[in-house]
Amino acid sequence: MSASVIGAAIYLGASLVAALVFFAITLAGDYTWVARIGGSLWIFMLGNIVLMPLVIPWAKRRRGA
Amino acid sequence: MANTGKQLTMPIRGMTCASCVATVEGALKSVPGVSTAVVNLAAEKAAVEIADPQKASLPELVKAVHEVGYEVGTEKVSISVGDMTCASCVEHVEGALRELPGVTKAVVNLPTERASVEYIPGLVGIPDFRHAIEDVGYKFLGLVEEGAAALDREREARQKEISRQRRNLIISWAIGLVIMVGTFQPYWFLPKIVPAFMNNKIFLFFLTTPIVFGPGRQFFINSWNGLKRGLTDMNLLYATGIGAAYLIAVINTFFPDAGFGGREATFYEAAALLTAFIILGRYLEAVTRGRTSEAIRRLMKLQPKRARVLRDGQEVEVAAEEVQIDDVLIVRPGEAIPVDGVVTEGYSSVDQSMITGESMPVEKKVSDEVIGGTINKTGAFRFRATRVGKDTALAQIIKLVEEAQTTKAPIQKIADKVAGHFILGVHALALAVFLFWFFFGFGQWFSPESRLILTPYMLMGMGVFGFALLVSVTVLVISCPCAVGLATPSAVMAGTGKAAEYGILFKGADALESTARLQVVIFDKTGTLTKGEPSVTDVVAVGRSEQEVLHFAAVAEVNSEHPLGEAIVRGARARGIEIQDADGFEAIPGHGVEAKLDGKTILLGNRRLMAQRHVPLDGLMPQAERLEGEGKTAMFVAVDGQPAGIVAVADTLKPTSAEAVRELHRMGLQVAMITGDNRRTAEAIARQVGIDRVLAEVLPEDKANEVKKLQAEGLKVAMVGDGINDAPALAQADSGIAIGSGTDVAKETGHVILVKDDLMDVVAAIQVARQTLRLIKQNLGWAFGYNTAAIPIGAGLLYPFFSQVVSPELAALLMATSSLSVTMNTLRMRGYIPPIRRARLAGAKA
Repeated sequence: MSASVIGAAIYLGASLVAALVFFAITLAGDYTWVARIGGSLWIFMLGNIVLMPLVIPWAKRRRGA
Repeated sequence: MANTGKQLTMPIRGMTCASCVATVEGALKSVPGVSTAVVNLAAEKAAVEIADPQKASLPELVKAVHEVGYEVGTEKVSISVGDMTCASCVEHVEGALRELPGVTKAVVNLPTERASVEYIPGLVGIPDFRHAIEDVGYKFLGLVEEGAAALDREREARQKEISRQRRNLIISWAIGLVIMVGTFQPYWFLPKIVPAFMNNKIFLFFLTTPIVFGPGRQFFINSWNGLKRGLTDMNLLYATGIGAAYLIAVINTFFPDAGFGGREATFYEAAALLTAFIILGRYLEAVTRGRTSEAIRRLMKLQPKRARVLRDGQEVEVAAEEVQIDDVLIVRPGEAIPVDGVVTEGYSSVDQSMITGESMPVEKKVSDEVIGGTINKTGAFRFRATRVGKDTALAQIIKLVEEAQTTKAPIQKIADKVAGHFILGVHALALAVFLFWFFFGFGQWFSPESRLILTPYMLMGMGVFGFALLVSVTVLVISCPCAVGLATPSAVMAGTGKAAEYGILFKGADALESTARLQVVIFDKTGTLTKGEPSVTDVVAVGRSEQEVLHFAAVAEVNSEHPLGEAIVRGARARGIEIQDADGFEAIPGHGVEAKLDGKTILLGNRRLMAQRHVPLDGLMPQAERLEGEGKTAMFVAVDGQPAGIVAVADTLKPTSAEAVRELHRMGLQVAMITGDNRRTAEAIARQVGIDRVLAEVLPEDKANEVKKLQAEGLKVAMVGDGINDAPALAQADSGIAIGSGTDVAKETGHVILVKDDLMDVVAAIQVARQTLRLIKQNLGWAFGYNTAAIPIGAGLLYPFFSQVVSPELAALLMATSSLSVTMNTLRMRGYIPPIRRARLAGAKA
């Protein structure tokens, strides 16, 4: 597997988990479905943005080594 | 150089024999991770096999070769890079270039949009640089050419960028203002003058979409290009901000019941004006950025295009680049001198202010040097070209200043690192802010009557997601670190350029910073504080006239090649004394000379010579001691065994030495003098100029150690010397200032080069450096201060108290203002005159 595929699996996976956790927490509260889904999407997007620059170079380094 | 897996072939410079081969091989093998190293002397190459690339990195190998006294052949190129907008772009491009095997150094300058790369040819090349730059999402615009061609190309590229942003600016503002008027149509007096259809959400949608996907498209494309390679830059902040504002507006327009606040919360004007403000910032940056490099542009403009050359007795006009060494050139009044040379015929005065900073024109006669790029004022003259093309003083100065501008000050390295990681941090913060307002803040403080700062909007229709998203987007937009990225390089460019206007050349941004932080200035004595040429200062006569005493001394020394003897002969001639040849002459090493004239025996020398020849000196001793106490060398003159007098010779101070020392003291600096002279003489000179600390009887090779001793006391030390004899001390000092280098600046060692032989330029250099560092600190203070203050406000800190939040478009305006204020602050350097220069100019006018 190439470094970019490994990297993508990690950051997409981690962001998805974060979004799902967010969604699960909102289920316990009095939130609209728009807030739950919209919020989860926003968390997923920001999660990716935060993780991509950390994970991609790490995966490349690991692959190179 | 070839790199086949774990094998490298490196060019090695400086090898002359088989022992060099063994040394280089040994050095390379000593690097951990290297399995074998074979050096070929004839090919000047080393083949290195690497077992562990982690341990045996290229810099380690280069260091190993360097440490045993050889060099790995490197080349340097300057690359024009497009699409860089902030400090994180600098980090990306530098990182991509440094990662290439074979690149030993890569420095990117944001204001000039250039990457300066030092590399080992063969291992890596221009195509690799192109790929590396393009791979991280920027444009490789080609290699930077030198001189006028580079100027034209740079201007063309800048104009193109300005035109592009101007077009975007006009589109976004023209439509954006209509959107704003349409959005606020129901408020204030607007219903009376603005038709109601302008507030229609579908109408606003059709107006906003071309802005977001037209002028705003660049942010989405650039951020995606970076993101897919794992890089974040400020385009991403903009793209997320604009994208989120636009998306909410579209959802509220077409799905008003989705819970985002409905049709009353369609922030089309936020998406449109956010784009417009960001583009305004880009446009102003593109316009003002060019102005910080005005000084170098002015230097480049000095390069004359045409020259009148004498060929076969005919005057021919040729391009300045076609002038050859030894060509004879003709210059008329008002014309620029095309190349460097020596006057062979004629007389004139030349304005050299553009190169040396001298305010008054300099007279030029036969045998005087002229500098290319300076302006002939009065007469016509002919001169022989001595330096042409890249070797002229002007070309060397331009190269030096350009190189200095591509280096980084230590303070900038920290700022770049912070800015480089900032974007990531801001997104993490936006995430945290979103979670806070979603789960806690909204329920705790949200009030339907609350509003966006400076708008009539009420947030009553907004739900928890819409509100948390609004604050989160505002944090992204308000936190942009563009001002941090511009703060230092723009000031360094302005500072080095301004210094060059005064004939002060900083070799790098680090030299500029260390000069600004100096605490001690050490002057070399001979040739720096003093003229370096002894002259007769006093004549004491006993029973004869002073003229006679000097005449005897000059006769004794007329054939001497000793500097003191030459000074006496020069002094006698200057006083109109005719000097005959001596009938006999004998040098007495370490003591003096003996000569005969008209049957008389003349002795000239020190007191030991007089004692040997039993010449009584009792009457002369008090004067001799007084003169020696003043730092002068007293030489006794005796005629036929009787004392005749004393001739005192001393190296005289330069006219500005005392004033420069006084000024440095006034600026709070310690001033020291270093010399090989005995302590008494040294202290006498030091007293005359007002120096309090004397490092006397120091051998030339020990000067660097004296500098080191002061540094060990924790002091930041400058060494001011002539640049050639004092090279080790200049190199050791925190700031080595080579003075009076004249026009061959490329040869000089030292971190700062003063074209003119004027100690006041040492003062001016420190003043320019201090002013530049002050600007850097102000810029960084403002940039970081802005972010420190703006982020909490953007994150909704004021909301619980005032029920108001910053809108994304206001955040964009604040961000653009921040960058602009940094650039405007830097532009103040354009009008800066070092105080010492200002005082002199005022004095000259008076």
